[in-house]
Amino acid sequence: MSKRVGIVGAAVTPFKAKWNEKTYYELAQMATREAVKDASISIKDVDAVFYGIYNDIFERTCIPEHGLHGLIGMQNKFGIRISTGGATGAYTISAAHAYVAAGRFKAALVLGVEKCTDCFDFQSMSATPEVIKSIGWSGDSFFEQPLGWTASDSYAEVVLAYMDEHPKDLKPEVTAKISSLLSQYAKTNKYAQRQHDQVTPEEVMNSRLIVYPFKELEICVYTEGAAALIIAEEETAKAISKNTGKPIVWITGLGEANEHSFAGKNQKVMPRIMSDHLGAQRAYKMAGIKDPKKSIDIVELHDAFVHQLEISMAEFDLVPRGRADSLIDDGLMLPGGKYIVNPCGGLIYSGHAVGASNIMSAWSARNELIKRKKKTALVHGTGSTIAQFTAIAILEHD
Amino acid sequence: MVKKKEKVIPIELIPDVGSHVLTIDKKDYLIANDAMYTFYQRSKGEFSEFFLALRDKKKILGCKCPKCGLVRCPPYLTHCYDCDFVATKTVELGQVGTMLSTPPITYFANSLFLKMAPYGRGRVVLEGADTALAVNVYTTTGILAPGIIKKGTKVKVVFRNDRTGNISDIFCVPASELTKAQVAKKGLLASEINWEAVVEPTLPKATAKDTAAYEKALKEIKSVIKLMNSTERSRKDIAGWKRDIQVKTTGGQFAIIINNGDIKVEEKKVSKPDFVLVAKDPKTLADGLAYRGALTDSVIMKRLWLSKNMEFTTIFKLDRMARSVKRSKK
Repeated sequence: MSKRVGIVGAAVTPFKAKWNEKTYYELAQMATREAVKDASISIKDVDAVFYGIYNDIFERTCIPEHGLHGLIGMQNKFGIRISTGGATGAYTISAAHAYVAAGRFKAALVLGVEKCTDCFDFQSMSATPEVIKSIGWSGDSFFEQPLGWTASDSYAEVVLAYMDEHPKDLKPEVTAKISSLLSQYAKTNKYAQRQHDQVTPEEVMNSRLIVYPFKELEICVYTEGAAALIIAEEETAKAISKNTGKPIVWITGLGEANEHSFAGKNQKVMPRIMSDHLGAQRAYKMAGIKDPKKSIDIVELHDAFVHQLEISMAEFDLVPRGRADSLIDDGLMLPGGKYIVNPCGGLIYSGHAVGASNIMSAWSARNELIKRKKKTALVHGTGSTIAQFTAIAILEHD
Repeated sequence: MVKKKEKVIPIELIPDVGSHVLTIDKKDYLIANDAMYTFYQRSKGEFSEFFLALRDKKKILGCKCPKCGLVRCPPYLTHCYDCDFVATKTVELGQVGTMLSTPPITYFANSLFLKMAPYGRGRVVLEGADTALAVNVYTTTGILAPGIIKKGTKVKVVFRNDRTGNISDIFCVPASELTKAQVAKKGLLASEINWEAVVEPTLPKATAKDTAAYEKALKEIKSVIKLMNSTERSRKDIAGWKRDIQVKTTGGQFAIIINNGDIKVEEKKVSKPDFVLVAKDPKTLADGLAYRGALTDSVIMKRLWLSKNMEFTTIFKLDRMARSVKRSKK
């Protein structure tokens, strides 16, 4: 019988476009310091650490976690790194949960960190083309990298295939409204990279095409930062909660799926994000959720692109496929609507520090469940080529 | 097969050894030029047959499972996992296919592919195959704009003249842009296609109305560029960047000079511009610079003609500056 596992502490560093003042060592320690402080425990009380770090090239070190282990106070303890593309953070939560639920550890640290904009293109004298190039090494090296594969164009493939099937969905005015709404949410997130960058739907519509059909203000931004959770098995969690006075947010469901990386018959179904669909179904089943439309209050969704946010919401069975625009058209994600989606501003406005992003989302979901006195949240991570990988966690507040 | 000698890392991408100090809140921070590089003698292993066929025979190979009959291209495996890993057999495929779905178009490329942008990358199901091969897609009619290639578009595989045994040895163009003979030909070479020539558009003779429109637009452009020049965020967008741009419109022409954080308008003809922009309507440029629609989109939609595709990078910077001015006002 596996043990119940809950979140008893959480923290993030400010998410910034560039931290010239800090290395990823310091960012990781900052988040760790704040997370144990939030749980009112000593790092000595933590039995294991699960690192979420996506890309060795960003950190400019292979096995980038080795430098972190001692300086976060985990010498001689268990440490393992998870790396699953954009879904790294969510998969790290999943892995940590499995060990704690199995009784291997009483308390564990889930630590995500990324420092991506040290990458710099000396031709254009800007960071972004080199950051995209570094991510470009993640594409299939035999058949796709030489064609200029990027994360954006691989997700655009899925989005355009969905639009082939549903030409009346994902209307530009709807994606623009969603982006504008997320920018408003970021206003209250003091850690957000774009806390003060509120945009109108018109500005989104007027922003330039980066990769058709994505416009600049419909894409997540590259970020440097760290995020951490302290998770614990039931008895330990209760003791910590009693001490801090903060409620436990339980991890009641987890679901993961990785699709095929090639498309066509019997392979990836291009208009679908089956990884999102299967991941959500598995997480709902584990959490005992029969009707997600009734159960899910808050969604912290990995919005790499606004269009993909809409498709993911449909794959979670929260809106009908082909009518994802009902998120705005029927007011489902508007303030006061059925779902609270990305109250932190999402990865588009809070920022995308890849390995840390989904852990930041879990930090936000926990805060929002407690603050708004809601019961259930869904935390999501998507990654790899053509939205191949997904991990989903269901969080519940007693 | 490779005609000119090239380096695996283009020499122009490699920065000089160096460092600089950035002062933030009165404290100095060190930033060093650096690189993380590894060279390879990369094994193409079981894929060698496929890549050698591309390079030497202008053929495209797939693999067929003798049990379920599925023909996979690219042939990324030797045994079918759907049929208890029975060994697959090599088959030759057709060189015409249909697009599995509408391909994305990359305008803002990563640093290795700046020269190639804008480009499409989609998936083609070739005649005789069941699965899709990722390919670059182009049009013979200039810049690839949305709508030219869609789901189901019939495309023809074209072989580059200089081939290296790489997936980029081939690309696709819409079959409708070729002659019947070209579509039917196996091993069609890029040099056998008539690519639309890059010719600077001629502008009509200016009327009094055109001249007035030019004067009005130029006044706004000067005002916006002055604002860009005094905005710290937009100055950062062109740090280290130097370009002399000749702008030609129906009512008149002027130059935009970018020099490491500085930007200015000069009413003159530049003797050796880095590139030329041609807009029939000068308001197109004024709108873009004033953040009323992107210059990038104007180039894509052929409202603004750009003499060098590589200079999309500068267009992005100008779009970025327009947004930076807007952000700084918030």
